[in-house]
Amino acid sequence: MPKVKVDGDNLDVDLTNHEIEEIKELLDRDPSITEWGMFDVMHSEHCSYKSSRPKLKLFENAEENYDYVLAGPGQDAGVIDIGDGYCLAFRIESHNHPSAIEPYHGAATGIGGIIRDILCMGVRPIALMDPLRFGPLKNNSHSQWLFKYVVKGIADYGNCTGIPTIGGEVEFDKSFESNCLVNVACIGLGKIEDFKHAPSRAYNPGDYVILMGGSTGRDGIHGVTFASRTLTEMSEADRPAVQIGDPFTKKMIIEATLEAIKTGYVRGLKDLGGGGLSCALSELMGDGGTGADIDMSKIFIREPGMNSFEIMLSESQERMTFIVKPEGLEEVLNVFRKFEMAHAVLGRTDDSRILKVNDRNTLVVNLPATALSDAPPIEREERRPSYLDKLLGQKTPKLSLELDEIIYKLIASENICSKEWVYRQYDHEVGVRSIVKCGEGDSGVLRVIGTNKFIAASVGVNSKHCYLDPYHGAKGGLVEVCSNVIASGATPRAMVNCCNFGNPEKPESYWFFSQAVQGMADFCKNMRIPVVGGNVSFYNEDEVTNTAIKASPVMMIVGIIEGEENIISMPFKNADNHILLIGETKAELGGSEYHSVIYDLEGGTPPKVEEKQIKATWDFLFELYENNLVKANHDINKGGLIITVAEMCFKNKLGAELNFKGCYNEKLRDDEFLFSESVGRFIIEVDSNDSEKIMETAKRFNVEVKNIGVLNSESNISVKGLIEKDFIFDVKKMKESYDTTIPNLMEI
Amino acid sequence: MSIKIAVIQFPGSNCDLDTLHVLQNVIADGIEAELIWHNHFKESKFDGCILPGGFSFGDYLRSGIIAAHSPALDEARIMLKDGRPIIGICNGFQILTEAQFLPGALLRNESLKFICKWVKMRVQNTNTPFTHTMNNGDIINIPIAHGEGRYFINNLKELEENEQIVFQYCNDIGELTKEANPNGSMENIAGVCNLERNCLGVMPHPERSSEAILSPYKTEHGKFFFESMVQFIKRRSS
Repeated sequence: MPKVKVDGDNLDVDLTNHEIEEIKELLDRDPSITEWGMFDVMHSEHCSYKSSRPKLKLFENAEENYDYVLAGPGQDAGVIDIGDGYCLAFRIESHNHPSAIEPYHGAATGIGGIIRDILCMGVRPIALMDPLRFGPLKNNSHSQWLFKYVVKGIADYGNCTGIPTIGGEVEFDKSFESNCLVNVACIGLGKIEDFKHAPSRAYNPGDYVILMGGSTGRDGIHGVTFASRTLTEMSEADRPAVQIGDPFTKKMIIEATLEAIKTGYVRGLKDLGGGGLSCALSELMGDGGTGADIDMSKIFIREPGMNSFEIMLSESQERMTFIVKPEGLEEVLNVFRKFEMAHAVLGRTDDSRILKVNDRNTLVVNLPATALSDAPPIEREERRPSYLDKLLGQKTPKLSLELDEIIYKLIASENICSKEWVYRQYDHEVGVRSIVKCGEGDSGVLRVIGTNKFIAASVGVNSKHCYLDPYHGAKGGLVEVCSNVIASGATPRAMVNCCNFGNPEKPESYWFFSQAVQGMADFCKNMRIPVVGGNVSFYNEDEVTNTAIKASPVMMIVGIIEGEENIISMPFKNADNHILLIGETKAELGGSEYHSVIYDLEGGTPPKVEEKQIKATWDFLFELYENNLVKANHDINKGGLIITVAEMCFKNKLGAELNFKGCYNEKLRDDEFLFSESVGRFIIEVDSNDSEKIMETAKRFNVEVKNIGVLNSESNISVKGLIEKDFIFDVKKMKESYDTTIPNLMEI
Repeated sequence: MSIKIAVIQFPGSNCDLDTLHVLQNVIADGIEAELIWHNHFKESKFDGCILPGGFSFGDYLRSGIIAAHSPALDEARIMLKDGRPIIGICNGFQILTEAQFLPGALLRNESLKFICKWVKMRVQNTNTPFTHTMNNGDIINIPIAHGEGRYFINNLKELEENEQIVFQYCNDIGELTKEANPNGSMENIAGVCNLERNCLGVMPHPERSSEAILSPYKTEHGKFFFESMVQFIKRRSS
C-alpha cells in the first residue's frame, strides 16, 4: 500500500501513485491528514466504482428510455411510477465483508444501510428481502455459525424497525465458505410528491446542514476500504471496521425523517453510510453545485478525544444529513425534538462549491466539493479462464441410482429444501400488506392499501450457472426472477442488481463481471426492462484458501399486478385438474443441483437464454391470465421439473399421475428431461376442460406446451412414459425431508 | 357521538399504523381512532385505548419495561380504574404486564427464536369487552410475531379460578396440545384479562387478521376484537 507523508508522519492510503499525484496537482498543495483520509475512502472501490464504471455504462439509460422511471442508477435508490399517484423506490446492496467477519452486526447494519437508502428518496420503507450465500452447512460449524447469526442479525434488526422481510433466497456452495454473501434489498412506497420533495442534493445556497440521529463514534472507520480488499488471515483484526447497529434508533430515524419531510422544509436528504460524513457532504454539495462551511465541533461524538480524521471517516450507524430551508429550521428541529433524536446544525450551504470543515479554529478540510466524488475510472484487463473448457466438457455419468432415490436426495439438498427455518424468524406480516407470504409463492406480493394494485418482488441468481457461463448465467438469473413475479401474476417493471465478484485486478475475475454485466444489459434492453440501480461488491475472495466466490450477479425484479383476482399462487388446488409443462426442456445439466448432489460435479452444459422464446412464453402466459385459465403457477428452478411438481403438491396434500410419453424426444435421457434446469419454463395447473384450448393457443404463440398429467388426491406421484422405466414416489416422505433438512442441520 | 379510541405510539411501536388502519378502514363505523405520541396522551378525551405491538424503546433492558414507566401508563391507569377498555397487543401485552395492569410475565420463546406464523387459539372467556361477540370454544385464526411471548405466572390456579384466561393456543380441532403451543406458554395461554375484565393482553395480532385478504384461511377473526370493544363502549355510554 502506498504511503503519503503528512507532517513528517507516514500515512497508509489505498490510492494508486497516479491518484496521489493527481490529487496534489488538483489542489496545488499537499492535502491535510483529514483530507487524505477523505480521498482515501472516496476513491475506494466501494465508493467510487472505479473498476466497474466502464462496464456499467453498458446498461441503457433508464431515466431517458422509460417514462415511468423517476430515478435511475446513481441515486440512492431507483424509483418508478406505478400509477394512481404512487411511486416505488427500491435498491439492493451487499454487506459481504463485514458479515464474513462479524455475521450478526454485519448483516444487521446491512439492513440498516439499505433502509436509509430508501428513506433518502422520501418514501416509507415497506419491505425487505435478503439473498444470502454460504458454504454448505453439513459438517461445517463455521458455515452454520455464519448462517445462524446472519439470519438472526437480519431478524433482530428488521423486526424491530417494523419493516417486514417478505422473501429472499439462500444458496449454499463451497465457494462461499470463507466469503459468505449477504445482500440486502429494500422496497419503499410513497406518493410521487413525497419523492419529489427530498432529493439527495443541496442545490440551494443558504440552507442549513443538519446532522440527525446516532452519535459519531470510532466504529466503522475505514469500513469501505476494508470492503474493497480481499480477506486475509489478518481480517479478524479488522473487526473494528464493522459497525454496530441500533435498530431502535433506526426506527426513530424513519419516523422523524418522514415527519420532517411532511413539513415541506426539507430540501435535501442524505444518509451516512460508507464513507460517513465525507461521502454524505461531498455528494450533497458536489451533486448540488454548492459548497458549505461546516463546524465540526457541533457534531455529537460518542467518546472524547476524537480527531477530525476519525470524525470525518467514522461510519457510525443511524445518522442522516438534512438540508433544510432557512425559514423552516425551527419546525424541522421540533420534529427531531419530539422523537428525542439528537441533532446538530453543522453549518450552511453557500455558492462557493468548496467544502470547508473547521475544527474549532482550524480549517481541516478545504476541498472543491466535486473533487472527492470524481475518482477516475480504471480500465481493467479481462481474460476468459482457461479451466472453463474442461468444465464445460464434463459429461453426465451413467445413472447409478434409481430415479426415486435421486428425487428424495434432491428434495433434501440444502439448496432445494424449505427455507422456513429462516423466514419464521422474520416478521413478514407487519405493515398489513403481505398478501403472498414467505413460502407460499415464487415472489412476495404486497398490496398498495387504498388501491387495487399489488407489488410482486423477487431476488436471486444461480451462481453455479454463472460460474460456467456468466453471460447466459446472468441472463438466466434474470429470467428466473422475472419468472417468479410472472408466476405470481405480475408484469415485470424494473430491475436492480447487486454484483458480487472476486478481485477485479485479476483478469479472470474481471472477465466474469464484464460478461455478467453484458448479459444483464442485453437481456434488459431486449425485454424492455429498465435497470434502475445497482451495487458492485468486488474482492469477494480470501487469501487463506485462495478461492474466489462463484460469480453472483444477484438481481431483483419488481412487478405490478392489477386487481386481487389476478394474483396467482403456487400450490396445486384441485384433483382432476391438468398439469401443463410450458417451455422447452434441453440437455442442460451443467451447474444443476442434480450434478452437484448426485455426482459432485460442477461442470457440464449450463442453460442458455433465447430472448425470443422467453418473450413468446411470457406473452402466452399473459394471454392465459387474461382469460383466467391458470389455477396455479410455479416456475421451474433448481432440481428441474419433477421437483417443481412435487413442491406444488405439498400444501394442499395432492398427488399426481404424470405421463411423459411424447413429452420429449429420444435425444434426451430420462435424467436430462427430469432434472435439467433449462430456464424460462413453468408448471401450471389448469381446468381439464381448458387444456385442449390452451394447447391450441400455445401453437399460436409458438410456445412448446405439454400436458404432463392429472392431479389426484393420492399421497404419491406416479411417473409413466419414461424411456427406462416407470416409478412412483411418496409426497409425504418428500415433504418430510423438505421440511426437516435445515432444522436438523442447525440443531447444534 | 362517535367513539374515540386512542392508539398509543411509544418510540419503537411498529404496529401502530396497522392498528389505526383497521380501526379507520375496516371497522370504521362510528369510531374516531387517533394516533397519540405516548407523552402527549390524555385519557380524558378517549373511551378506550390500544397499546400496539412493536419494540417500544427497542425492547432494550426487557420487553415493555421502559414503556411501562411512560406517563401514558399513568393516564391509562385512570381509564383502567373507571372501567374503560384497554387492549395491549404483543408488545402492548408485555407493557401491560410490566405495568402490572395484568398478571404474569412474558418470557423468551422456548425455541429462543423470534417466531412469525399463523396459529389458532381457542376462546376461553367471552365475558370481556373484547370477546363478548365470540362464543366459548370458537377457534380463531391469527398470526403471532414475537420473540418473547411465553406466558408465565406463579399462581396459575388463581388465574384459572378467576377466569382470567381469555385465549389458549390450540390445534385445528380446538385441543390444547403441546404441538399447538408455539412458544412454550404455560397452559397454552395466548391472552389474559384483569379481574375487572376491562383490560386484555394478547400476544397474537388481531390487527393482522381483520381482513380476509391477509388470511391464509380467508377469515376475518381479528375484527371481532375491535367490534366487541366498540359495541361495549356504545353500550356503556348509552
